[in-house]
Amino acid sequence: MDWDAARVSLLLSGLTALTLLPASLWVSRWLATSTSRSRPLIEAALLLPLLLPPTVIGFYLLTSLGGASTVGTWLAQHLGLHLVFTFEGLLFASWLINLPFMIQPLQRAFAAVPRSVREAAWVSGLSDWRTFWRIELPLAWPGVLAGAALTFAHTLGEFGVVLMVGGNIAGQTRTLSIAIYDRVQAFDNTAAQQMSLVLVGLSLAALAIVFALGRRNPLQER
Amino acid sequence: MLSVEVFQTMPVPLAARFDCRPGELVALVGPSGSGKSTLLRCIAGLMHPSRGRISCNDRIWFDSESKLRLAPQQRRVGLVFQHYALFPHLSALSNVALASARPDADTHAADLLGRLGLVGLAERRPSELSGGQQQRVALARALAREPDVLLLDEPFSAVDQPARHELYRELAELHRAVALPIVLVTHDLHEARRLADRMVIIDGGTTLQQGTPAQVLSQPRNARVAELVGIQNHFEGVFLHGSEAGWGRLQWGADGGTELHVRDKGRIEEGAAVSWVVPAEHIGVHRHAPRGPNVQRARLSEALPLGDIALCRFDMLNVRAAVQLHQTTAQLQRGELVVGEEVFLQFDPSGVHIMPRHVGLRWRKGEKRTLSL
Repeated sequence: MDWDAARVSLLLSGLTALTLLPASLWVSRWLATSTSRSRPLIEAALLLPLLLPPTVIGFYLLTSLGGASTVGTWLAQHLGLHLVFTFEGLLFASWLINLPFMIQPLQRAFAAVPRSVREAAWVSGLSDWRTFWRIELPLAWPGVLAGAALTFAHTLGEFGVVLMVGGNIAGQTRTLSIAIYDRVQAFDNTAAQQMSLVLVGLSLAALAIVFALGRRNPLQER
Repeated sequence: MLSVEVFQTMPVPLAARFDCRPGELVALVGPSGSGKSTLLRCIAGLMHPSRGRISCNDRIWFDSESKLRLAPQQRRVGLVFQHYALFPHLSALSNVALASARPDADTHAADLLGRLGLVGLAERRPSELSGGQQQRVALARALAREPDVLLLDEPFSAVDQPARHELYRELAELHRAVALPIVLVTHDLHEARRLADRMVIIDGGTTLQQGTPAQVLSQPRNARVAELVGIQNHFEGVFLHGSEAGWGRLQWGADGGTELHVRDKGRIEEGAAVSWVVPAEHIGVHRHAPRGPNVQRARLSEALPLGDIALCRFDMLNVRAAVQLHQTTAQLQRGELVVGEEVFLQFDPSGVHIMPRHVGLRWRKGEKRTLSL
């Protein structure tokens, strides 16, 4: 069992879910309520990571953010940020590939809040902000937790992008899924099996949470 | 006082103008899709019409000229939505308290729930309440805002019949107790007649007529209003001045047909084609020719039993027209009225209401022609 890889995986998954959530709340609420003509294009762009092979995303990130690239050079010079073969780079890549996993359940949850309930809040004198906090977010809460749980589970299992962008640096960018691949290459099936079981258990727990929360939706009680 | 003047062509055409005084209950009545709810949304600030002005108690809420558009939060409107739109994750108490701006919001909310007969139900969520109870919570929430105007959007449509009558009574009590302008949207004429001080008939977003329910139902302004309010005995004819001052003649039917003695209010020109209605209570049914004016021979051609009453169709013998009246089933059973026999119908001149004919009135295919009665 590679405990360093487990630590990197859990840290990456937890941070991805936590840091992706605030912006996703804003974007998904906008997508759920907007009548803008640009909405289908934005929705398509946000779903793209679901369809593209992870290696393709990884390749683009590697070439666009690497030290030889304009963006990579600018980031290194002005912000001291290196996004290739670093944990920060992994986190950035995880944000991108998890956008559909986070935004889809959130968007569906916000879209399920009836317009009349939102309007009732406004007519009751609640500001847009209070309407969001007191009415929309609590009603969309199962979707929020589902988005976070799916993002967490998906990040745990991600392989292609992680390998392309992060490489395989022990304690920094080697996640459980990379470590499993590594152990299989070294014919250490016992360790690979242990780590695989951990991933299966964590993913199962995350999905169980999603389904359990889906059953406790106050919008479905009526 | 609430004053509303709104006009627009898209997306829903609107050309509406009406007032509602404090303590007055005005019913906006019209068929489905007539723009009544849209009008209510304009008052609440949930949508803005292209042109117009909406003010309440000398405060302007919307004015297209000065580009003033107050948000719903700034309008102090209490709105009861058609399906209540309660916050499903909150208790009845929290639903109401959230709308109260008072420092003691919870006490205020509990007091309102108590006044509306919801003692002991404060901690229940909307899903644990009956339709009638949910409606009361929605009403309490609307009142918790301490609104300047109370808007009710078909508030009884989702409630079953027994609960509806109880709620009618409660709304009537509330109407007496609060000095607020109350605007009720409904497609149910019975409801409007029972609850409203004034009715505003709306069709295609346009206010066609306003007045007390008795006025609108007995003196519709035009043929469309007569159709909308479900007046069955609605005919066409030609108006002629009479020899006596204040009296005129109504030529009923083509080629002379027959004539009725009617009031001449000096508003209609000699020879004008008119529509006319006569409420059922102004038509007498007699087996023997009575004394007085406007006695016409008719034959009872059909009697459709509807429980205690029967819908009877009388074919006029001097004109190609039929009069529909409700008679008691007992009258038919006692043989006072027999299908196929001749009777005499007497039209009370004061009940005959004559209107200019609505030229170009065309029904759209599949359109609901009358309001539910």
